[in-house]
Amino acid sequence: MLPLSLLRTAQNHPMLVELKNGETYNGHLVSCDNWMNINLREVICTSRDGDKFWRMPECYIRGSTIKYLRIPDEVIDMVKEETQVKSRSRSEVSKGRGGGQNMRTGRGGNRGAFGNRGRPAPLARGGGNQGRNPQQNKNKK
Amino acid sequence: MASGLENYVNQTVSVITSDGRNFIGTLKGFDQTINIILDESHERVFSSSSGVAQVVLGLHIIRGDNVAIVGQIDESIDSRLDLGNIKAEPLGSIVH
Amino acid sequence: MASKEGGDKGKSSQGAGDNKEKRRKESILDLSKYLEKSIRVKFAGGREAAGILKGYDPLLNLVLDNTTEFLRDPDDPYKLLDDTRALGLVVCRGTSVVLICPMDGMEAIPNPFITQEG
Repeated sequence: MLPLSLLRTAQNHPMLVELKNGETYNGHLVSCDNWMNINLREVICTSRDGDKFWRMPECYIRGSTIKYLRIPDEVIDMVKEETQVKSRSRSEVSKGRGGGQNMRTGRGGNRGAFGNRGRPAPLARGGGNQGRNPQQNKNKK
Repeated sequence: MASGLENYVNQTVSVITSDGRNFIGTLKGFDQTINIILDESHERVFSSSSGVAQVVLGLHIIRGDNVAIVGQIDESIDSRLDLGNIKAEPLGSIVH
Repeated sequence: MASKEGGDKGKSSQGAGDNKEKRRKESILDLSKYLEKSIRVKFAGGREAAGILKGYDPLLNLVLDNTTEFLRDPDDPYKLLDDTRALGLVVCRGTSVVLICPMDGMEAIPNPFITQEG
């Protein structure tokens, strides 16, 4: 399975995106392209230190600045269906996005989806940085 | 594809990222740029003062730019690790 | 915006290379909706600015008017201070643009994740 297929399948699902600069963005994936550029809607941005928060109605993020994306667990099972649909109707690739549209019913979910998996997003991120003070790293450079 | 990662698909792998974090999960897929799909993943957070903490994270796409090492985990050996008693300095990040 | 994702999905496991190329002519970002509106831009390296979008090209080069830059902690290029400085009319180099969002509706908020939990 290709990472970008998974990402495409995750359209209209909530996700957490961490950028290389350490900021995290929680929002619903609106669209993505082959470069992993993404549009999010109903976004909450968390600063690198997890101490400041912004709400934004939407935002565009350049793919090359992404460190990783956290995607709801169930999305990986939807990708399989999508590949099957596509391999059946290969000649109609341009219509293939129907597979994606069918999933839009999932739109009711919210950021809470991540809560189910243990902890709220910024805390998870904080955990990742535990004992690894960014300032410290910076001084080493 | 000549990255060699195809042998690890559906296996448990450990990914060390360039910011020094360590993710464990099932490799579900990858591409030419080493973007990686990790399913049922968790992060191991190392600390010199207390044991290794495991943070459950779930499904991840890790961007290839950020991947330093992908290694296969031998689950029988790994399960014998007493992570709660392993104390180690966390890795630093890669300096460009 | 949703219309921009059109022509998606050339990607099938059977390497339909030509479809893949065709599919990517259109950007997923429609900057025309921000023209004459105030947008926030974050740059590689940590700079942040806001200004009125006067023009753009497909490479994400931007022309911003009445631009303010948000100043940062001299010791930490990713830490914003409350200070700003006026830059006026600027051209932003597309390759260094990391994030674009509309200023309208963007606001600092208290930690939303704690309240969600409680």
